[in-house]
Amino acid sequence: MAYLKIDVKDIHKHYEDPSRGRSKKDAAETRYVLNDLNLEIYNHEFICLLGHSGCGKSTLLNLIAGYIKPDKGSILLDGGTKTVTGPAADRAVVFQEHALFPWYTVEENIAFGPKVMKKRKEEIEQIVDKYISMIGLEEYRKAYPSQLSGGMKQRVGIARAFANNAGILLMDEPFSALDEFTRSTMQQELLKIWGADKNVTIVFITHSIEEAVLLADRVIVMAEGKIVSDEHITMDRQERNSSNPEYLAEVEKFRVMLQETNI
Amino acid sequence: MNKKIAYNSAVVKIISIICFVVVWQLLVMFNNKAQFMNPTFLPGPIQVVKTIVSYLQNGTFFPNIAASLVRVLKGYAAGIVIAIILGYFMAKSKLLNDILDPILGFFGSIPPYAFCPLFIIWFGIGENSKIFLIGYTTLLPMIGYVVQGVRSVDPLLIRSAKSLGASEMQVFTRVLVPSALPYILNGMKVCLGLTFSALIVAEMMGANEGLGYIIVNARNWFLVSDMFMSLVLIAALYTAMKQLIVFAESKLTSWQKSGMDAIEK
Repeated sequence: MAYLKIDVKDIHKHYEDPSRGRSKKDAAETRYVLNDLNLEIYNHEFICLLGHSGCGKSTLLNLIAGYIKPDKGSILLDGGTKTVTGPAADRAVVFQEHALFPWYTVEENIAFGPKVMKKRKEEIEQIVDKYISMIGLEEYRKAYPSQLSGGMKQRVGIARAFANNAGILLMDEPFSALDEFTRSTMQQELLKIWGADKNVTIVFITHSIEEAVLLADRVIVMAEGKIVSDEHITMDRQERNSSNPEYLAEVEKFRVMLQETNI
Repeated sequence: MNKKIAYNSAVVKIISIICFVVVWQLLVMFNNKAQFMNPTFLPGPIQVVKTIVSYLQNGTFFPNIAASLVRVLKGYAAGIVIAIILGYFMAKSKLLNDILDPILGFFGSIPPYAFCPLFIIWFGIGENSKIFLIGYTTLLPMIGYVVQGVRSVDPLLIRSAKSLGASEMQVFTRVLVPSALPYILNGMKVCLGLTFSALIVAEMMGANEGLGYIIVNARNWFLVSDMFMSLVLIAALYTAMKQLIVFAESKLTSWQKSGMDAIEK
């Protein structure tokens, strides 16, 4: 069922430049972070967004999440039946800086979503157990975030996002702070969860070209607020490893592309 | 390497208090002999205990404490509650903050006790003027702590709560309150000292019972031992209330990591 899950239509977004007292209406001087961006994301796609810092990829993610509002344009969800007006539980977000609630333990953090959704107690316990064992932190159930290492916190943040069973997962460089081994485990877990549920669509920001080619169905490269490349990766996921020349060629292709956009 | 001497800190604290009382008694006994000061003006701990017993016997001990306790609780509670409500909205609305900030700054620059005679004229010599003074004294500094607490909330946590499906109310109870709580409890501890000074000032200005009243009344009759008793009771009452807040703090904000544990010694 390849219906349109996220439809980004004619999005314009700029931020006020606090250093200059110019008014909003001074259109000639307005610098758009996103300039007339269109993007159609289909159900069960795994999209990786690549681009240099400041290219607008985080802004795009924040717009889809509903944290910020576009100047022009709109974002439609679920085949155009819903419009993004603000953050909601149908779009789970994993932040670069884990954003755990420091006053809740590991299990309370993971249970936050199901709890505010007023799920039954046994069901919440089941969900918490499932995701705690997925991230391998059973021993730290009752620990507070301040007692965990950076990588552990990030894993809890990911489990918390998964626990809500949202149709859309928005991930802003979720694995960049993890050590190589944990990153690889989390990547495989992410693919497993995504593969098991045909109704999960993922938008994943990364700085790592290798990671993008490893995970994505579709890699989108952004530069200066525009999409400069939108390509499908059709290679089988099992064959994506650094000893496969096809994989390396793909990575190299994106590396050259990113170098060219670095003006 | 310097060796750490292992000791029980509770034992040290108790010994410290006992030593203080003993030294005080010895000083008094020495003064009784040497007559540096009229011995009636410097009663010792034994004399103070005798005074407490006499208050207990004529039934005025607990009513005086109760009178002060009720005043302090009413005034303190009112001050804290109003500060939390006002501070919350001031932190939320920049406009309200800009409107109230200069006014609160103006009133904040006036020592609250300067208003005492005015409050008596407005609210009468009875309980109302006393509770008003205590509440007012607590309110002004407390607002700052509440505003700081509400503003301290990490916007990323609000975002993540919203994305997990939390409603406005749930964001308030599950994100805003726990973020602000450490600041509010700290403010409550700091303001408690001001609350108590307001209590004593209010009771000195015209009351017929209470710990502050005992002090002014004792002055008229040179009952220095009564004064000492009152001072000890004020300290006890203050310490009890403060410990209650410290206890609540340890229960409610146990998730916080103390920076003092950063480096092992």
